[in-house]
Amino acid sequence: MHALSSNKLSLGMPALLLWLLPLAAMAVEVKHAELVPVNGKYLFSADLDYQLSDRAVAALQSGVPLFWDIKVLVSQYRSYLWNKEIAGRDIRFRIQYKALLNLFQVRNESSSNTYSFSTLGAALNLMSTLRNIYVVDAAALADDENYFAAVKVKLDRDALPLPLRPAAYTNSQWYLASDWYEWPLKK
Amino acid sequence: MAIEKIKLPVSVSVVILFALILVLLQLMSSATQASSELSAIYSWLLLINILGSVILLALVGANIYSLVRELKKREAGSRLTTRMVSLFVVLSLVPAAVVFYFSMQFLHQGIDSWFNVEIDRAMEDALELSQASLNQRMRWNLKQTQQLADKLRDAPESTIALEMENLRENSDASEITLFSRQAHIIASSSSSPGDILPSWPDEQGWLQVRQNAEFVTMAPMRDGGLMIRSMVLVGGDEPRYLQALYRVPVRITDLADSVEFAFARYQEMHFLRDSLKLSFSLALSLVLLMSLLAAIWVAFISIRNIIAPVRQLVRGTQAVAAGQYGQQLPVMAQDDLGFLVESFNQMSQRISFARDETRRAGLEVENQRAYLETILANLTAGVISFDTENRIKTSNQAAFRIFHIPVSRFIGQTLPEIAQSHPELIEPLKVIQRFLEQTDDIWQHRLAFLGLNGRQELLCRGTPLFSQDGLRVGAVVVFDDVTDLIQAQKNAAWGEVARRLAHEIKNPLTPIQLSAERLRHKLANKLETADVDILQRSTQTIVQQVEAMKEMVDDFSEYAKPAKKQSVDIDPALLVQEVLTLYTMQAGVRFKLSQDSGLLNINGDPVSLRQVLHNLIKNAIEAVEGRGQIDINLHRVQKNNADFIEIGFYDDGPGIREDHLEKIFEPYVTTKAKGTGLGLAIVKKIIEEHGGAIWVDLNRKTGAGFIIQLPAV
Repeated sequence: MHALSSNKLSLGMPALLLWLLPLAAMAVEVKHAELVPVNGKYLFSADLDYQLSDRAVAALQSGVPLFWDIKVLVSQYRSYLWNKEIAGRDIRFRIQYKALLNLFQVRNESSSNTYSFSTLGAALNLMSTLRNIYVVDAAALADDENYFAAVKVKLDRDALPLPLRPAAYTNSQWYLASDWYEWPLKK
Repeated sequence: MAIEKIKLPVSVSVVILFALILVLLQLMSSATQASSELSAIYSWLLLINILGSVILLALVGANIYSLVRELKKREAGSRLTTRMVSLFVVLSLVPAAVVFYFSMQFLHQGIDSWFNVEIDRAMEDALELSQASLNQRMRWNLKQTQQLADKLRDAPESTIALEMENLRENSDASEITLFSRQAHIIASSSSSPGDILPSWPDEQGWLQVRQNAEFVTMAPMRDGGLMIRSMVLVGGDEPRYLQALYRVPVRITDLADSVEFAFARYQEMHFLRDSLKLSFSLALSLVLLMSLLAAIWVAFISIRNIIAPVRQLVRGTQAVAAGQYGQQLPVMAQDDLGFLVESFNQMSQRISFARDETRRAGLEVENQRAYLETILANLTAGVISFDTENRIKTSNQAAFRIFHIPVSRFIGQTLPEIAQSHPELIEPLKVIQRFLEQTDDIWQHRLAFLGLNGRQELLCRGTPLFSQDGLRVGAVVVFDDVTDLIQAQKNAAWGEVARRLAHEIKNPLTPIQLSAERLRHKLANKLETADVDILQRSTQTIVQQVEAMKEMVDDFSEYAKPAKKQSVDIDPALLVQEVLTLYTMQAGVRFKLSQDSGLLNINGDPVSLRQVLHNLIKNAIEAVEGRGQIDINLHRVQKNNADFIEIGFYDDGPGIREDHLEKIFEPYVTTKAKGTGLGLAIVKKIIEEHGGAIWVDLNRKTGAGFIIQLPAV
């Protein structure tokens, strides 16, 4: 908070450029991800690791909800053209601290399920462990083509409270995302 | 017209730009309201606004750059533009900066004033109060569950389900469930018949209840309400666990929610305090920056438009200053500047007219001058004009002809300077110089000098020149070569003398001679011998003298008669050889004749020309006193685009005395004891009547030399 207050307007063009550059240190790591065909459906499972920045933790503890987008994509390799996107699945989590009950609430925006945890670690653990999420029918994939899956996790900065956004765009503390994690699809 | 066409779109685009800026800023301002739908595109709006600022900044930068370049080049109107733009920027920047500063102050203070220790504490207290209230409720519910457990402890296995139903109905619990030690459901009772499966406690709950024999927690329900989950150990032989769920009354849930919402909101705002300041400051700065930049840019455009006529005027003035008159500038507006431009156009037009007029006048003067110069050049009289320092300013062709020097090459020099390189002109130039220096009035003087072609007589007339305000600005000297005129006058005079002599003297001579002979004839026989002798001698003398007088008179009449009696083509070489043959027998005198090949003929009277040759050769023989060398040269020369035959006579006698040089061709000038002195006068007369000239060759250092030039045919 104090670090930001001294920045104010001096964060200008250079910071904007900095924000556009990809950052080396990733706040979210995809430890493992797979897409397994089960009964003609590809189900997604993954283990993630969230490393929240101090600013993000402080915001969370001040009651600011954080939205996380997990994007899963299935694409077809094409040698002559760019890869073709076959299917995709978005999973969105919302994590918020409830001061009255001293709880961390995690809500799966896709399924509208809400989970409460007394510790942040437990709450993040729920978001880290993704199991058997339907992505695409096996029928949608041709046998003679090669496919790959990719997953990326990132904090949705556009869902932050408005006053926080200019800072969020220009501060690496708010660039909380993983790289694209890619793996070939097994049939 | 073209400018009019451009002007409208510019003003329209300026209006559009301002509208766009306002819309963007308004959108951004609306987006800052958290509830607004625009908040989703806030980042885009922010980016667009920043981009707009950057573009405007670039525009202003480009304008400043071009202005600086114009300033460096000292282009017309650039300084005025700079001054006006600077004034505008200062005038707009200072109030804007003041407003900005105080707005920022108010903004920051306003945001800070939302938060203070009292509100902080009140919020925390309210939350704590809510938590305390809920905790109390939880403890109370736990106590209730404990009581239920106590009642169940002794209940037999077979009726336990009924007992639980009973107990639940008599308590506040919405659901009670009895678990075995292995966490198997033994019995359950729920107020809502739809719930087939009882609510299951989480791992932590099991852990706590196994450790502490009791466990209570509160959790939000799916419908937004709160639920208290309590669990206690049911004592007895076999340890069992009773879980009771209690719904927190809606009113209390609402109150707790309200407190929590307010607290959470306050906490969030507290956390966002600096971000809020930052985003508001950013918005305010963007508004100020964009407005200012747009204003400055528009100021640039407007000022350039205003300055355009001034710039044109300056350019026009520079053009006029550089001599391009008649500049017409387009009148762009009917305002003061337009009036100025119109006035400039009129002025320029008038200057142009005046210039043309002057040029015409100058041309006329030039024509006049050329006309006068032509006249001067073709005058037979030589004309030389002098400046105040008596340096030559102009001279005409005749001056060259008269002085035999190209006077026009000596422009800027004084007469004594010319005299240094032309010693033969020392005398006349000295005289003219003296007149120029001494006389401030019109003067006239006749001067004679020995030029390259013999004696020349000039009639000079000098006129000092004065400017309009009476200052002497120089002088003009006009001179005529009157040599020929004077010669002609002299010739005419001598001719008249000869005619009179013939008439008045020759006539009485014959009676005198006859009378003398008659006296001798009549008296010779009557006188004594001694007297006869006297008579004889006297009459002899009379007759001889009369004879001599007759001869003299004949000579004169010869001189007075026209020499060119007939006109035939003569080969000069042949003529010279013919005459020379008569003298070749002369002992002691050597003749040397040299001639060019291809000589042209001359046209004239052979008798007269023979006399010329005789006279000259006789003179030469007399000069060398019978022994010496006589050279005769024949050349063909070109003078004034005409061919001449030049015959030179040179002897190696004593030469001609300088005091005789001037008058050697005049009658009765002789150095000889005998002779009438008409020889050279007749020669000169005959030559001149043939259109030729004769002069003494002054370059000859030994003896005398005469040069005859006769026109060739």
